[in-house]
Amino acid sequence: MAFAKASLLIAVLLVWQLARLPDYILSPLEIVRHFVQALGTAELYENIWASLARSLPGFAIGSFLGAALGLAAGTARWFDRMLSPAVFLTYPVPKIVMLPIFMIWFGIGDLSKVLIIALACFYPVFINAYYGVRQTRTILVWSALNMGATPARIFRRVVLPSAAPMIFAAMRVSLALSFIVMFAAEMINARSGLGHMIRTAENSLRFDLMYVSLVTIAILGYAGDRLVRLAHSRLLAWQQPA
Amino acid sequence: MRFFQRFLPFVLVGAALVIWETAARSGMWSPLLFPSLGKIFRELGLFFTKTEMLLEIQVSLERALGGFALAALMGILLGIVMGRSRFVAALLDPLFSGTYAVPKLALFPIFIFVFGIGSLSKVALVFLECLYPIVIMTYAGARDVNRALLWSAQNMGASRAAILRRVVIPATTPFIFAGFRVAVPVAMIVVVITEMVASADGLGYQVIYAMSSLKTDRMLAVVIVIAALGYALDKAVVLLRDRLIYWEKLDTYYV
Repeated sequence: MAFAKASLLIAVLLVWQLARLPDYILSPLEIVRHFVQALGTAELYENIWASLARSLPGFAIGSFLGAALGLAAGTARWFDRMLSPAVFLTYPVPKIVMLPIFMIWFGIGDLSKVLIIALACFYPVFINAYYGVRQTRTILVWSALNMGATPARIFRRVVLPSAAPMIFAAMRVSLALSFIVMFAAEMINARSGLGHMIRTAENSLRFDLMYVSLVTIAILGYAGDRLVRLAHSRLLAWQQPA
Repeated sequence: MRFFQRFLPFVLVGAALVIWETAARSGMWSPLLFPSLGKIFRELGLFFTKTEMLLEIQVSLERALGGFALAALMGILLGIVMGRSRFVAALLDPLFSGTYAVPKLALFPIFIFVFGIGSLSKVALVFLECLYPIVIMTYAGARDVNRALLWSAQNMGASRAAILRRVVIPATTPFIFAGFRVAVPVAMIVVVITEMVASADGLGYQVIYAMSSLKTDRMLAVVIVIAALGYALDKAVVLLRDRLIYWEKLDTYYV
């Protein structure tokens, strides 16, 4: 079975390596060679740093606000009635279209990019936190009430643990989203970062650098996802991660 | 209190609009930052009276729906085969789950070289991005079909084709639609991004073009059009879902 799992991947890589390809598609071995070469340059690390300095704060702000407001909306009826319709109405809207207006308001620097990433990350976390709270089993809340727990204590010991798995699931989505929006924002307008790197490489026909940027963002996306899953299984050890 | 509660949903939106209009009229900021609502709606009206603009909507919609439709076809097919065959699942599942968290958008510059700068590279990227949620959801649904139903059907002598058509597909449909609901906004996002990055038509290009010509009001009008399209497409998926899967109500509060 282990061989079957890897066989398709190996087959694809073999065909890819052996086929005669146009200039703009490098073979796997060439990509690896260029990537290893780029690992020795300072430029790559500067771009990685610039990208992470945008995506991670955006992810942190968006997830935090999403979790806080989602928990509040799931708990307090009046807050729910006030905020949720606006959130659910704007949920299917591609948030990236706000980038130009953010650029006009907050400048073309990092602030507008961080804020657009935060906006994109806000939605999935808000919605899952909201449904996580609403899916809390009533019987658990009743039992806690019956045993004389205060509302604050019920929130901390019953509601929060029951919403936590949903919040983590959403954070996985929004971390991936933060990388996508970061990359898009950098491709549209930036002076540094991986998205900018791939754009300049494209314009100067440096296919090697295009693939270096592509491999880097792939590794970052994959590693980030593993980290969130690891944190999930560590913090919520009682729950089997999906 | 009851009376007051009914108006709560409008409080936030209303307050935002009032603040916007006051900011626009106060003269503290240039109209480039906060164009007044009247100006934005005038541009919106202009947008809908011009055929060129309606064509931009058509171009963007064709790209989004074309890529989505291809992804739906391929995704349902792959998902059901993966769900019903251990061998295919072992072959394809590592491929999908391994590259799931990788931002496919990074492939766009390469797609431009492979498929050209026109619609095809955009449709290809929409297809790729939409394929993941649809395959993963369909696979999950087709894998977990209630065993008792499959056994009963077999026991009553149903052929493999009949089981697929009468048991597996109906049981998987709710999952397929869950995948669609993730994929449709993704399709819009990808189309708008790719049009903003490299294009000469479509709504995403119009946003960038309006901004470059310092027409903030027109830009916001296009943003409103994109937002309305995103919302309408999502509603369309929910409507279709409720018609097809009448036996299972969508378990959500607002959406």
